[in-house]
Amino acid sequence: MIKKLPSRTVVIVGGGLTAGLISRQLTSQGIDVLVLERGGDHSNGAEAKLPSQRDELRWDVRQGLVQRWNVQTYTLRHNRLDTSSPIRWMEAFLPGEGAGGAANHWNGHTWRWSEYEPAIHTHYVNRYGKKAIPGNVTLQDWGVSYQQMEPYHDLFEKLFGISGKAGNIEGKIHAGGNPFEAPRRGEYAQKPLETTQAGLLFAAAAQKMGYHPFPTPAANSSGIYTNPDGQKLGQCQYCGHCERFICEAQAKGSPEILLYPMLKQRKGFELRLQAHVLGINYDSHAKRATGVRYLDLKSGQEYEQPADVIVLAAFTMSNNKLLMLDGIGEQYDPVTGRGVLGRNFCYQTNSGVNLFMKDRWMNPFLATGSTAITIDDFNNDNFDHSGMDFLGGGMISASMFGGRPIRSRRLPPATPRWGTAWKKANADWYTHSMSLGIQGSCYPNTENFLDLDPTYKDAYGQPLVRMTFDWRANEEKMSAFVTRKMEEIAKNMGADIVGPAKPRKSPFDTRVYQSTHITGGTVMGEDPRTSVVSPHLQHWDSQNLFVVGASVFAHNAGYNPTGPLAALALRLGDDLADYVRRPRMLG
Amino acid sequence: MSQDHSPTRPRRNFLRKLITVASAAPLSSQLITGASASAVAAAPAFAADMPDAPSSAPTGYQSFSADEAAFVENMVNVMCPADDYTPNGVDCGLATFIDRQLSGAFGQGAGRYMNAPWAPGKPQTGSQLPFTPEQFFKAGVEAANRLCQAKFGKTFDQLQVAQADAFLKDISNSTIKDDDIPLASWFNDLTYPLFEQACYADPMYGGNRNKVFWKMIGYPGLPATHTLDMVSFRGKPYPGAKDPKSIIDFS
Repeated sequence: MIKKLPSRTVVIVGGGLTAGLISRQLTSQGIDVLVLERGGDHSNGAEAKLPSQRDELRWDVRQGLVQRWNVQTYTLRHNRLDTSSPIRWMEAFLPGEGAGGAANHWNGHTWRWSEYEPAIHTHYVNRYGKKAIPGNVTLQDWGVSYQQMEPYHDLFEKLFGISGKAGNIEGKIHAGGNPFEAPRRGEYAQKPLETTQAGLLFAAAAQKMGYHPFPTPAANSSGIYTNPDGQKLGQCQYCGHCERFICEAQAKGSPEILLYPMLKQRKGFELRLQAHVLGINYDSHAKRATGVRYLDLKSGQEYEQPADVIVLAAFTMSNNKLLMLDGIGEQYDPVTGRGVLGRNFCYQTNSGVNLFMKDRWMNPFLATGSTAITIDDFNNDNFDHSGMDFLGGGMISASMFGGRPIRSRRLPPATPRWGTAWKKANADWYTHSMSLGIQGSCYPNTENFLDLDPTYKDAYGQPLVRMTFDWRANEEKMSAFVTRKMEEIAKNMGADIVGPAKPRKSPFDTRVYQSTHITGGTVMGEDPRTSVVSPHLQHWDSQNLFVVGASVFAHNAGYNPTGPLAALALRLGDDLADYVRRPRMLG
Repeated sequence: MSQDHSPTRPRRNFLRKLITVASAAPLSSQLITGASASAVAAAPAFAADMPDAPSSAPTGYQSFSADEAAFVENMVNVMCPADDYTPNGVDCGLATFIDRQLSGAFGQGAGRYMNAPWAPGKPQTGSQLPFTPEQFFKAGVEAANRLCQAKFGKTFDQLQVAQADAFLKDISNSTIKDDDIPLASWFNDLTYPLFEQACYADPMYGGNRNKVFWKMIGYPGLPATHTLDMVSFRGKPYPGAKDPKSIIDFS
């Protein structure tokens, strides 16, 4: 028997980064907010305290902070004529669980995307002509401009104390920063992180080759920091237990440090934990969402929570699933091209190469989740694609995130897999090796999409989300090109051994971690025929239902999603305050 | 959490403990100071070198039968022979680690999606076997022993080092296959990762005894509060790597 609860003004599904940012904006204006989070509170657990926090096996290898795959997983087929298989243990991407979501165990890379990214279709057509975009690459504009997002980028970077070096302040290029950066109003909130030895070597080689190295902007706090809300960050300890871990030094910008403790003190805010949302009550005649249904994991009781406004702020896959389960919006069909839900599902096209230098002390354990020096020269459309047979690109970075010994040892090609020779190679190269990596764009393809699996169910008896996804021609060609550029740099760095630089190729492999940057499926845009939500993130078929997160990205650039994701969430917070006062389609 | 979210306080207790451990460690003088990883002393030296004596290391098997234990002990001793770098695999605790992992949450399939229907799938979707890791491990041991019997007339634990080494290579690259059990996957996707974890996980899990693998590569372990080290030791040898600390040292 479902119990019905008293109605609330705004109910947010998912207690991660975006929910925290939206709640900040709403509660500052006295608006009532309830956040429903399926997981618990990590802040006092073994994951957030020393010495148990420094446990690679528990938190990294066994995925102690990640969604439990026995409860919720996904299925995959590479092509729509294949039969899907469930991913019984996922390595490729790692959704979070518990208050703070994936922003507990993230690296901290915080990018503003290039100025042209939200208008990517217009940009490419203007630069290369209409024929430049292949028919099966469904790039489209987002319906929002960088200029509209800029104030929110600025706010987010101040709230999270981002450490970095500006490359473009109001159009003026500054040495040491990223010259391809979208124009910003000022410097970063904090100075950049210290550079690793690997970063110094890469920067020197890249500079010599005429490229433009700069420190990756980071939510790992380079100093002790107090944000505009009076919330504090400690100084990063470069402990090498950052991504896949919670920062026990409270030095990584996370909602559990900077948002939820503050919000809990605010009137009208409630975070309800262990509340797994099962569906949205949708009145298709009135075109209105009336509430959500959730299972209280503490009691086993199912509740109906009515609300004036509902926001889906869960991981990309869950946002898609909730809309699909209740049939809100038309499912995308690759045969007819009709429908929008599940369309423009994208990932991140990454590759890397290892370098071995016997006389260099890399000390890989002296690092944090964002200690990286990057060049943006071959990212996205920062270089001329005339005469090339692909679009997009990738950043090239010398990243050192921690020398955790189970997973982060690099061995030269052809090293035996065990025995004394294996041990010797480990001893010789562990602290004398580094790698370069590419984080590449992934553009939408008519054949990459999400829908509900017809066969497999989750622990609540609901269908799993099915991915139909593979690396298509555009991404393979892009990866081949940028990987060659990376290899050229690697060979200019004076290494004794350079490992094979293998570009990303089909088939997509869930057994290998690549990135948690899964995007799309509920994309934003100006045209209801090609988008699920409006430029104000308002559902076209239900004006009191909003969707936020990387699921609204209409394509994925060669950047981490957090910057625009956070900017859009803060902007949505302001939009919702307006909407609550005067409900309407926001224009 | 609302009571205390000062960035500094949670670490204080830990740092106090760190000081205690460091000053109460009489063994640092016994460490082979200055030895580079490639010149680390052979097995006997390690016995003198340990904060936690071998007698305190966990013994007995929770998951393995006697036959399985014999198989695994031979395997880890082949994959990790006693040499200039470490004692043999059993003495490093590698068999204990694998046993504990298989009898524990991992081996019982914690977090693994086990819903029907079951069907073979592409490798890229990961294992589609309806086994828990422990069941798969045991089925693989049995199959490997069956193949050894057929090929050598004895079980794997009876094989000489060179034979056993070649046999493991053959199953890992599918030169030798079993009709029932996908032994290449058994070795590459389950057994080999357990071997690596046994070597490099925190010693509290039973492997990497006396942090021998951490010392071998120069990984300093905990507490890893490196804000100053980041600058002082950039591009230079890091002294703490010679005397790594584990969770045990702070517990």
